Amino acid sequence: MPRQTIVVDPVTRIEGHSKITIHLDEQGHVEEAYFHVTQFRGFEKFCEGRPFYEMPSLMARICGICPVSHLLASAKACDAILAVRIPENAARLRRILNLAQIVQSHALSFFYLSSPDLLLGMDSDKTRRNVFGLMEKYPEIARDGIRLRQFGQQMIEWLAGKRIHPSWVVPGGVNEPLTAERREQILGHIPEALAIVERTLDWYKSSLAKFGEEIRTFANSPTMFMGLVGEGGGLDHYDGKLRFMEPGGRIVEDAVDGSAYADHIGEIAHPWTYLKTTYYKPLGYPQGVYRVGPLARLNLIDRCLMPRAGQEWAEFRALERGAVLSSFHYHHARLVEILYALEKIEQLLNAPDILTKNVRAHASVNNNEGIGVTEAPRGTLIHHYKVDDDGLMVWSNMVIATGHNNAAMNRGVLQVARHFVHGNRLEEGMLNRVEAVIRAFDPCLSCSTHADGRLMLEVELRSAGGELLDTMRR
Amino acid sequence: MARILIVGYGNPLRGDDGVGFHAAVRLAAGFAGGEVEVRAVHQLTPELADDLSRAELAIFIDAAAEGEPGAVLLRRLSPEGGAQAFTHQATPPALLSASRALFGSAPEAVLFSIPVESAGFGESMTPPVARALDRVCVQVRAMVSERIAPGTPEI
Repeated sequence: MPRQTIVVDPVTRIEGHSKITIHLDEQGHVEEAYFHVTQFRGFEKFCEGRPFYEMPSLMARICGICPVSHLLASAKACDAILAVRIPENAARLRRILNLAQIVQSHALSFFYLSSPDLLLGMDSDKTRRNVFGLMEKYPEIARDGIRLRQFGQQMIEWLAGKRIHPSWVVPGGVNEPLTAERREQILGHIPEALAIVERTLDWYKSSLAKFGEEIRTFANSPTMFMGLVGEGGGLDHYDGKLRFMEPGGRIVEDAVDGSAYADHIGEIAHPWTYLKTTYYKPLGYPQGVYRVGPLARLNLIDRCLMPRAGQEWAEFRALERGAVLSSFHYHHARLVEILYALEKIEQLLNAPDILTKNVRAHASVNNNEGIGVTEAPRGTLIHHYKVDDDGLMVWSNMVIATGHNNAAMNRGVLQVARHFVHGNRLEEGMLNRVEAVIRAFDPCLSCSTHADGRLMLEVELRSAGGELLDTMRR
Repeated sequence: MARILIVGYGNPLRGDDGVGFHAAVRLAAGFAGGEVEVRAVHQLTPELADDLSRAELAIFIDAAAEGEPGAVLLRRLSPEGGAQAFTHQATPPALLSASRALFGSAPEAVLFSIPVESAGFGESMTPPVARALDRVCVQVRAMVSERIAPGTPEI
């Protein structure tokens, strides 16, 4: 049998455009697999020459799913250029906005993109394996998903004026304080949202036993983990210091200031994808491959101080000895993080001075360089800017969560392909699993290549000579 | 929830494709609160199903890929399911279907669609579609007036 290549193009139910190629040897065994990101955007280049204070609103255009993350990382980089310490209440309000973003983005990933696989089954009828199929069979869960994401989006609108590409966050803080009316609106919806995520956790945990094979094979490999850790070792999505952890759970480097990221994180480009790959510099590539995002964050922290989320976190950490390694558990981690976000938002909104009107620091250019680091829904997000004395952008670099996970996703695709794909036949369910491992990471390719859209899925099986042996279309 | 929900959608950075979005922005200024709610969105998302379930009439405004550029077409919609790859965007019939299936009811609904001439990069619309924007706003206001207070002049 000649060498063959299976192409999954595009990968569906993710954010952006990509394809997967699976290369088979003469015996039909999977030899290699690649996750290719086929879109390119180039924000780092075309921002050159623009005033730095335009960056938050310009960079937020990178993505329509997580604009808030870019807004915040960008604003933090600009804070550093201004050399200001923003008012405490401005930081608190930014933090709430970031957590609202976590709620809506995680709800989108879990309910809209992945729950059809989880509830209807990886091998179920592909024409029904979507939210419509979910609505028919599990309307309560579909309704919960819609309500939860709606609440996350609504919080963003109430805080920042609009759901997508808000301009509320500015260099030096935010441009308007919170009103009592908005605070009460958000607080009023928290109990329903908490109830939704708690019952979702209940059914999710009760169904885990059905996914033993996927848990064992979905990017379940000994990579490192990296992410921000808050004061006291707690979960923090807005601020904190970088921590690097070995697969066994040992912390190899801690309390790294985000501004020193380049000393610890290396970036490489591959000829077969527009998505850059990062690695832990001291170990080099590929030994220094690490993961970021919800799974990493819950592995990295020492404690989770919110009462309900704390209990769920403890259960989550008991899934495996040491760090939780299977990327299938990204789904579980997302639910725990939604719970945490809701509890934390409630706590922050009940802070006595949350309505304080002092929410912005004003200054001019005091530094020619600024670095902002936050935890986006998908992982650590770094914006690094250099400006001239007039504040015009001369250089920028963005390290995006999906890039941090690129190497791990590729390993995951290979692992799943080796387990489920057999060259002498194409089966829809096995190819869906190859896609599902990518979905577990919830990559955002619009962000990571600094497009959107949806295409048909096409899988081709070709011989080494290019002969089309088999095709599947979705 | 308002009795009438107007949803104008499209990408205002892609020329004529943004006509629905622009229409919603323009209409919102004339319907401050009360019985009419206006949403200007880039695309239809599943969350709108909940809002639709609480409306009596839904008016969608969108660009259309086919037809005479600048025409204003009106058609009634009905809930319709289907096996589309419904993730974070949807069609009006699919949303109506979701509204009925998940939240118990779907409103009466219409779609104003405006065939485009160009959906290239840029914020400006072509002259025929820009003129259609004026006409569709007049027609939507008339429809709303007729629904809120039958027999009265348009808002």
